[in-house]
Amino acid sequence: MKFADFVCLEAISAELTALDKEGTIREMVQGLLDAGQVEADEFESIVKAILKREELGSTGIGRGIAVPHTKHPSVDRLVGTVAVSHEGVDFDSLDGEVVHLLFLLISPPDRPGDHLRALENISRQLRDDTFCRFLKQSKTSEDIGQLLEEADNNQFES
Amino acid sequence: MSQPTATRTVVVTNESGIHARAATLVAELVRCFESKVMLIKGNERVEGTDVLQVLSLGAGQGNELSLEATGQDAEKVLDELVKLFTENFSEEQSSDKEGNGTENK
Repeated sequence: MKFADFVCLEAISAELTALDKEGTIREMVQGLLDAGQVEADEFESIVKAILKREELGSTGIGRGIAVPHTKHPSVDRLVGTVAVSHEGVDFDSLDGEVVHLLFLLISPPDRPGDHLRALENISRQLRDDTFCRFLKQSKTSEDIGQLLEEADNNQFES
Repeated sequence: MSQPTATRTVVVTNESGIHARAATLVAELVRCFESKVMLIKGNERVEGTDVLQVLSLGAGQGNELSLEATGQDAEKVLDELVKLFTENFSEEQSSDKEGNGTENK
């Protein structure tokens, strides 16, 4: 699976303003809403589901990366977005570090395979320090979109 | 002279595979032991302490993984790891009341 298969380019944020976990998740889901990927009347339900998932254990997986996600019946395919926080967000990460790179995923309840493939792709690409550094330095959502495209074309994968 | 080593083979049996929470549980467990633990799927070898690396295996239901540990508590850490896999990472399986994070509507 490639980034292009699930990341909505219009929803990408190169400069998150929220500094806490809930605010960050709201900002990212709002991006998907503005891009027409989720329904307005499902917004609160989606945010709540993602926060509930965080209660099971933080998706801050270390190295400044978080992958907040949920299954949700309102989507019929995997949708995702990417955000960069230059300040860093406290995400209760495994290694105690603040998070700078976030990949948010919403998947249909009956497609666990797609979710796993997306996580595999994200983590495979993020293992590359150059890719991570470039992402963190991105100033615009277009920069991020371009980096994702380059990653999809195997320009980073080691 | 050489450190004790241990190996095990496990099959991923939970429906969701080694997703974020499962990978985190693996890393948290391995971090509690001294031994160095590697997870191997096909040609890929990754460090058990690194969630990102474990996730990058993309190990789904039915996949077979080899576990290798090197260190004084090698056998012990792998026993615990195998338990985690066989208990499906404490997840409820299909037809459960509520999926992880899914809102009941």
